[in-house]
Amino acid sequence: MTTIDLKQVKEIVRGFINNSINIDTLSDDENLFESGLINSLFAIQLTTFVERRFGIEVGMDDLSIENFKSINATAAFVTRKSGNHTP
Amino acid sequence: MNGLLNEKQREKYLEFQEFAMAHVEPFAGQWDRAEQIPESAVAQLRDAGYLGANVPTEYGGRGWDVVTFGLLNEALGRSDSAFTGIVTVQSMISAALLKWGTEEQRKKWLIPLARGDLIGAFALTEPGAGSDIQSMATEFRRSERDGGVIVNGEKKWITCGQRADVFLVFGKLEQKPLACLVPRESVGVEIEPIRDLLGFRAAGLAQLRFRDVAVPAANLVGKAGFALSHVAPVGLHYGRISTACSALGLLRGCFEESIDYAATRKVGGQRVGDLGMIQSLIARMGTDLEAAMLLCWNACQAEDRQHEETFTKAFQAKYFTSRAAVHAASDAVQIRGASGCHESSPVARYYRGAKVMEIIEGTTQVHEMILARGFLHEAVRRQRLKRATAPQPLKPVQN
Repeated sequence: MTTIDLKQVKEIVRGFINNSINIDTLSDDENLFESGLINSLFAIQLTTFVERRFGIEVGMDDLSIENFKSINATAAFVTRKSGNHTP
Repeated sequence: MNGLLNEKQREKYLEFQEFAMAHVEPFAGQWDRAEQIPESAVAQLRDAGYLGANVPTEYGGRGWDVVTFGLLNEALGRSDSAFTGIVTVQSMISAALLKWGTEEQRKKWLIPLARGDLIGAFALTEPGAGSDIQSMATEFRRSERDGGVIVNGEKKWITCGQRADVFLVFGKLEQKPLACLVPRESVGVEIEPIRDLLGFRAAGLAQLRFRDVAVPAANLVGKAGFALSHVAPVGLHYGRISTACSALGLLRGCFEESIDYAATRKVGGQRVGDLGMIQSLIARMGTDLEAAMLLCWNACQAEDRQHEETFTKAFQAKYFTSRAAVHAASDAVQIRGASGCHESSPVARYYRGAKVMEIIEGTTQVHEMILARGFLHEAVRRQRLKRATAPQPLKPVQN
């Protein structure tokens, strides 16, 4: 995870989310939790996915809707958490 | 399944089967009738280290992979699904604490749970909230004294509730779902045994009442707002894997009892197993057993390999295996005829227990809803892929 940048992270996160929710097009800033598109398992699936795919640990302090509310928010969280701060 | 296991897993499976045959199988009927598992049997489970099967060694557990954990549940489930229920709930509360507990909570609660010095229970279901858990009514009120909470509410159908030393209780704090650890001896906790269940009778189910139970801040697990989205699903995931594998054991029990009977019992000078109608039942049972085995192995393997579809795989395993166990138990009784309807045969107990497997850790219908939505979503993915790979129309040539 040391060489991956925000753009790459966003691409991977977008791929996971697009595969997980039933919508044809989703903007990177669309609030997933307000969209009504997600099921009860989505939150833990997304958390588990970013942990396993990017080798980071999502702890109790990271539990915030702000960190996972959209593709952009999730990608930004992952890059922050993994120590990458690519603009 | 042996071909899918590594050497270590095969050895452990053999050990689990020997344990079940020596310490569970001979007593399961007796425990069922008494609606209780004796302390001595729980102690054997503890001494064998099976209550910390899925917990890392640094927290007092055995640190086994999930396939090995599944094999444990299968071997125990072959003899008694109610007894396996202790392992199920212990793994659920342990997994939730391992993932979302603080380091202090892991030291204080997880280590004794993994060692089997404490027995836990997962207090989620309520009299008015089962599948629709979002509507749970247990209320947490902020305590002015120490930043903890005051718990008021009721939980029902809680496996090991009669025996547990500590409960992981789910409720709402200002409408936000929250979980907390409530020791059994807390003032205001009432435990009422639930008896006369269809099956799973020895699993010690209870109804719990919490009346102004004071819980310190140190016992709050996770953050308010995330108990149902993050804390409970981690526990339920292990519960689903455990139940699927336990149901697999029950299915194997039905199969083995049926073939043994059909191969030896004679009717009118002919072996029961030579009758075409019986062969149909056995063929389905044996094939279901193989399919269920592969789905359970797949689910355990997915968790071991941290596959992104680990939740779906566990749903599939639990869904298929519990339904197959119900069919197999019904057919096992049918094959035995009258003797299958009597408690002197284990298939009568399997028959009652199998139905419970279809209800606990999510009903068959909840599984169908979740799985079907996932499968239907596949259509969106396919259409997207089709569009992406479709040849683009040629642009007219500009002169």
